[in-house]
Amino acid sequence: MDSGIASYGLQYGCILIEAALIIYVARSSHRGRRGGVLLYLSCLLATALARHYALCMYGLASWQYYNLYWTTDFLLVISAFILVCLFFRRGCLHEEKMWRFVRLLLVFIFVLVAGISGLSFSHNFSHLFTFFFVVEFNQNLYFTCLVLNTLLYLLLQQIDSADDQLGLLVCGVGIQFAGPAATLALVHLTTGEGFAQSLAYFTMPLCTLGMLLVWAYAIVRVPGREVVTRSRATVLAEVTAVLNV
Amino acid sequence: MKNLVLTFLLALLVVLTCVSIRRMVGGTPFAGQKPALVAIGGDPVPPFPPPPPKPTN
Repeated sequence: MDSGIASYGLQYGCILIEAALIIYVARSSHRGRRGGVLLYLSCLLATALARHYALCMYGLASWQYYNLYWTTDFLLVISAFILVCLFFRRGCLHEEKMWRFVRLLLVFIFVLVAGISGLSFSHNFSHLFTFFFVVEFNQNLYFTCLVLNTLLYLLLQQIDSADDQLGLLVCGVGIQFAGPAATLALVHLTTGEGFAQSLAYFTMPLCTLGMLLVWAYAIVRVPGREVVTRSRATVLAEVTAVLNV
Repeated sequence: MKNLVLTFLLALLVVLTCVSIRRMVGGTPFAGQKPALVAIGGDPVPPFPPPPPKPTN
């Protein structure tokens, strides 16, 4: 009963924060630069509402929920991959040569993930190939986003990026992806003990909540690169004016 | 051309790293069992359909 209340609380809390962030980003003047964030939040919100409806109407073991769950999971991982690509673009904004290399790398990675996911199930489950391909593809792309996000974080440190907001957004995505993966590893190490199973039950919504809170802080409180650049230019102009006087 | 091959090899390395990490943490779905999966969002994962019957000769 308590775990059910906590689970519902987390779910509704995430939905509320997602809706509030979408409205805030859509009404802000920098929404073009935050297009990836807006897309991902919209997908998260639409998915949460559709799944909640299907779960209440048809139940966990129904074919309708099964179809909807894996279709929306596919949409979520695709939007997550697009989000990471857009973060790479924003990180390499003044590094055109690097961006050309990264763009090609991301295309190759997407094609390879699709190819490897198709190969791994083509011999085993011929009549359910489409479904298992989708599941396998979703899982592989999830871990790809996790690794790419880590690489992006390292890249931002390497090029000493002045975009603090991007750094926090990347950290938020890291929480979303790394938390469930770490819990899955714990379940695997403890061979599925009760504690690890119950921890895994709460980890995924908690990580989503953590990401949303970090994003809310980053979007509302931390200025992006343009704001920082403008303020530095203003400061420089003021200093020059004082020196001329 | 050389850059293209190097980029492809790097992409292959990244993807194989991802697949290896996934296998290491035990994220392999099995038909008919409770799958070990990670997912975005906190919604409950539906049970998998039973495995197909093996053909008998």
